[in-house]
Formats: sequence, C-alpha cells, structure tokens
Amino acid sequence: MLLESVSTMDFIGSKLADFLTYTGFANVEWANIIMIVVGAFFIWLAIKKDFEPLLLIPIGLGIILGNIPFKAAGLEIGLYEDNSVLNIFYQGVRLGWYPPLVFLGIGAMTDFGALIANPKLMLIGAAAQFGIFGAYMIALAMGFEPNQAAGIAIIGGADGPTAIFLSSKLSPNLMGAIAVCAYSYMALVPVIQPGVMKLLTTKAQRQIKMKPARVVSQTEKMLFPIVGLLITTFIVPSGLSLLGMLFFGNLLKESTKTTRLAKTAGSALNDIVVMLLGLTVGCSTQASEFLTLATVKIFALGAFAFIIATASGVIFVHIMNIFLPKDQKINPLIGNAGVSAVPMAARISQSEGLKADPHNFLLMHAMGPNVAGVIGSAVAAGVLLGFLS
Amino acid sequence: MRKLLSVISLLIASSAAFAQGAHYFKINEVYVHTPACSKGDSTKACYKQASYVDEYGQPASWIEIENTSYSTHDIRNCFLTTNPAVLDKNMPAPEREKLMSAIPAGDPRTSLTAKQRITFFADGNTNRGTLHLNFKLPVGEPFTIYLYDGNAVDLLDSIHVDALPVGSSYARINDTEWQVCEADKVTPNAPNILYHNDKIKEFKEKDPHGIAMTLMCMGVVFACLILLFVFFYIFGWAMNRAAKLARVRAIRAIHEQAERMVEMAKQGTTETQGINMETYAAVIGLALHEYFGGTHDLESGILTIHQTPTTWADKSHELRVTPQHH
Repeated sequence: MLLESVSTMDFIGSKLADFLTYTGFANVEWANIIMIVVGAFFIWLAIKKDFEPLLLIPIGLGIILGNIPFKAAGLEIGLYEDNSVLNIFYQGVRLGWYPPLVFLGIGAMTDFGALIANPKLMLIGAAAQFGIFGAYMIALAMGFEPNQAAGIAIIGGADGPTAIFLSSKLSPNLMGAIAVCAYSYMALVPVIQPGVMKLLTTKAQRQIKMKPARVVSQTEKMLFPIVGLLITTFIVPSGLSLLGMLFFGNLLKESTKTTRLAKTAGSALNDIVVMLLGLTVGCSTQASEFLTLATVKIFALGAFAFIIATASGVIFVHIMNIFLPKDQKINPLIGNAGVSAVPMAARISQSEGLKADPHNFLLMHAMGPNVAGVIGSAVAAGVLLGFLS
Repeated sequence: MRKLLSVISLLIASSAAFAQGAHYFKINEVYVHTPACSKGDSTKACYKQASYVDEYGQPASWIEIENTSYSTHDIRNCFLTTNPAVLDKNMPAPEREKLMSAIPAGDPRTSLTAKQRITFFADGNTNRGTLHLNFKLPVGEPFTIYLYDGNAVDLLDSIHVDALPVGSSYARINDTEWQVCEADKVTPNAPNILYHNDKIKEFKEKDPHGIAMTLMCMGVVFACLILLFVFFYIFGWAMNRAAKLARVRAIRAIHEQAERMVEMAKQGTTETQGINMETYAAVIGLALHEYFGGTHDLESGILTIHQTPTTWADKSHELRVTPQHH
C-alpha cells in the first residue's frame, strides 16, 4: 500500500515536472517579454490615444499572442506550425488573399465622387507615391536587395493591405516587420504629417479656399470602376488582384443594384478579414523573427517613406498651382492626402485647414487625392511586382 | 431566352477553358535508351543512363511532358505517338487513336500542377501502368514525337529528334530552343534549366541606386492616373455640356409654352374663341406643376404593404395558451 502511494506520488511528480516544461514560464525569454510589452503598448495607443483602434487592437493582441512562449513539441499551436489554427488563418497573409478582400471592402465603402468631380486631384495621388520610390532608393543604399527594398518601400504608400500583399510576394521573410511598420505608421499619420505640411507651406497658402466640387452624376460614378479597372489593369496586369477587387467593390456600391452585396463587403466581410489580418500579422512578429537589426532599419525606412510621401504630395500641389488660374488654386494642405491612408490623411488635411482658417473645410477636396492614392499605391505595387518577381 | 443565352455562354466558356488547358502541355525532354549500353559498358554516358529506370527498375527511353501553365491541368486521354501517318488530316479520329498511345484516365499522377512535369516510358509495354506507352523510340535514327489532344485531332505539340548520342537527351530550353544535353545534364522530371530570378540580379547590377526603377514606376503610376484624369475630365465636360443643353432646351420649351399661352390668352380675351379663364388657370397650373417637379424619372423605391388579414398568425393556431396578464 505504502509502495503504491509512493509510486503514485512519483508519477504525479514526474508528470507535473514534465507539465512545467510546457508552461510559458519555463520557456520565456527576454525577447518575448519585450514583444509582449510592445503589444501592450499598441493596445494602449489604440484605447487611450485612439490611434486606429480597429487596426492596433488586433495587431497588439496578435503580438502578445504570437509571443506567448511554449515548448516546441509539435502541439500544432504556433503560427508557424503546420496545421495549427493560427497557421491556417495565417495562410490568408502568406498567400496574399486577405489584402484583395480588404480592397473589396475599401472599394465598397469608398465614394470616388470627389475625385471624379475634380479629376486633376488624381495627379496628387500619383505624386505622393514618390514616397515609395524614395524609400526604395534609401533601402538600396542601406544594403537591402532590390526585392527586399521594394517590399519595405511600399510602406510609403501608407496602405497596409498593399504592403502585406507585395512583401508576401517579394520578401516574405520581412513581411511581419513590414506589416507592423505599415500599420503602425498609418496609425501615426496624425503625428507624422502635420509637421511636414506646416514646414512646406506658408500661412497664406494654408488659407487657400477651394471652389466647391461639382455634383457628380450616378452615371459617372458607375463608369468610374469599369474605366478605372480597364485602364489600370491593362497597363499593370500584375496589380490585377488588388485593383480588380477595389473596383469590383466600388461597382457593387455604385451600380445601385447590389446594395446588399456592397454593404456586406464593406461591413461584415471587411471586419472579419481585418480582424484575422490584424491578429495574424501581429502573431507573425515572434521575437525570434522580429527582434533583428533588419526590423530597426525597416522602421527607420518606413518613417522616411511616410515623410517623403507627404512632402512630395504637398510639393506637387505647389507645382500644380503655378499652372492653375488664380480662382482654381489648390490648397497645398490636401497634398498629404495623396498617401492612401483613407480617410486618416484626408482628416489631417481638414484639421490643419481648420487651424489655418476655421471656415475652410478641406475634407471633401482631400478625399480626391486620398482615394487616388489607393489606386496609385496598388498600381505601384503591381509595377514593382512585375519588375522584380 | 435569357436562360438559354446564359447556358450557351457557360458552355462556350467551359469548352474554351478545356481547350486552353490542353494546349499548355508541351514535350519537354526526350531520352533514348541504348540497349547495348546496359551490357556492362563502363563509360560515363552508359553508367549514367543505367540510372534512368522505370518503376520496375528497368532502363527505358522516356518522353517528358510539361504543364507550362501556372495552373493545374490533367493530361489524361491525350495521345502520344511517333507514327507520322497521324498527320493525315483526312484520317478519322477512331483510326488515329489506333495509331497512338493513349494516356489512361483514373491515375492522379496525370494531373499536373503549375510547371509540373510527367515522364512516360516508351517501352512498348502498356501493361506496366499509366506511364508506359505502346511504342518504343528508335535507337540511332531520327524520329518525330506527336502529342495530340483528347479528341485525337488537335496536335498540341511535336518535336523532331535526330539520332542522339548515347546517354544524351534532347531538351527544351525555352519556347523555341531545343538542345542536346549530355549525360550529366539529363533531367527527368526536373526543369531543364535552373530558373534564377535574373530580374533582381539585373536591377542590382544595372540600377544600384534605384533611379531607373523610380523613373519607370513613377512613369507608370502617372500614366495610369493621367489616363483616368483625361477620361473623366472629358467625360465630366461632356456631362456638364449635356446638362447645360438639357437646361437650355427646358427653358426654351417653357418660353415656347408661355408664348403659346399668351397667344391663347389674347385669343380668349379679345376674340373669345370658346376658352374661358378657368381653362387658362388650369393650363397654367398644370404647366407650373410639371415644371416644379411633376415630371420625374426616378421613383422613390419605397415599397408599401397594405395590411391584408390572413390566418397564419391567428391566435387560435398557436400551440400554447396566450399568457394571461394579471
């Protein structure tokens, strides 16, 4: 009897000891702790500072989730372990089918009316893409390979789905860092852009009042996704999946016959994809993969890319104003909206415009370059993919 | 009628897709086994070719087919032959089939994913399985291989092979170029050349600072958006113009109507031709009503349902007693 109880205690002891080797406490490393703090910081930014909570909360929790230490014992639980639930969710990022679904939602929610009413604003969206290529040149100078440099530079487009899509194709090993960087800086648009905008404009320029946009007919709105799709994808077929879904979503909205589909694409479907995308992107930042010198460089390059993109949009408006008649001048504060962070960048134009003149409402004017930026960054991604894949 | 059209469109689309799929199959590499070599010849070529064996460990000649597309296609029911008689276009399909070796259906190995290759053994022994053909490749003399679609009529690919040195294969390097590969470069079930991403290398060498890339990409981005700008600038102008013309036409019509009214009023008051003032008032009222919104082409889209009594929700049909309020 005594012997039996001793052997049972031994058994329990050995199993408990074995169990302890599986716990997070037994497997934790400093890098995990650092990343968990980073994740918590993202959640704090989202809740306390209201910085893009829809993105930063899933990413922040994903970072924590991805850095919970565990014993690699083939339990099929980690993001990078085949057949784990997280791994199945991650396929949408790795194989690049979340970004086109997000673009479908963006298309279904976006009103291109401001752009159609004043089509010259499209050129601002094109000019702001210089942020991508400015960062590309700097990345090359820092020693990255052309495909890696392109994956990093696309952060300058301020478009998370596009950044994930391109980096998953061109530089999959850097995708986690690139995605987190892109979304972080998108959330930090209110911090990064105003300084650059003020630096490049005078008070008089900031007070320019733009004419109200003309009313756009439904025919024009319906035609836009079809013509846009044909023009952009005939020139850049490599951007087909992003541009195709963007314009498809917009046609669902503007056709007026598929309102139900447009609502689903822009709400429930988009929300589901954003949740999974944010969570898995956050999870992909496991300390062993994420805490490297390359990540630091990527974050530095991302900041440069955003600054260059903002500056190039504002400077391009100055150039346009040289050629425009006096009554048609454009307020350079909408230049920042050429990056495709919709509608955050347009909101910055609005708030900066109101600071310069409380009666100057720039939001609808800024939406033009803002949505053009979405098209521009998708086209830029397609071109880079075509050249380098 | 609409359903019929949809069915026809679907049938056309699916048949086109089928034909498209088969055309992606290309003969990729051909290898002729020299029997004399397997009798203890120790030269390098003979030594290497002894390693190219079928599932039964028997050395054999083989034909490698590649799915050149980036999607999965099945090569089942296609035909392979070296018999030039099949080129006779007047020969009926059943006769052709007798002259060719059919690739059997029902074997998952015949489904080729993107860029995948499959090797068929030309040993004249189809009893050995799906991958064995009913003909042999001639040794030391030229021949041509024909790959036919499942209908035995459409030629998918053909390649003329001259007499090959011992242990060598004849391999496709790109869409138009073929070359004889020596024994150590024979690659059954593998790419004939190693694919490198030369684009990245080229950009690294010729555009180390990224200036060319920047110019090209920005050019393309601007081109796309400028084209959109031009289209919608012109279209917007045309729409504005059309709206203006419509307004002008409407105003002109109102003027004309007003003039007619004045004329009628004059006639009514001065010549009293049977039109009284009440009629004038009604006509003017109608014109104003039409002008201020009586005419419309957009319906509200609101559906209204008039309550119709039915018994579907009748309390008497409920399964439980309606709760009593106390």
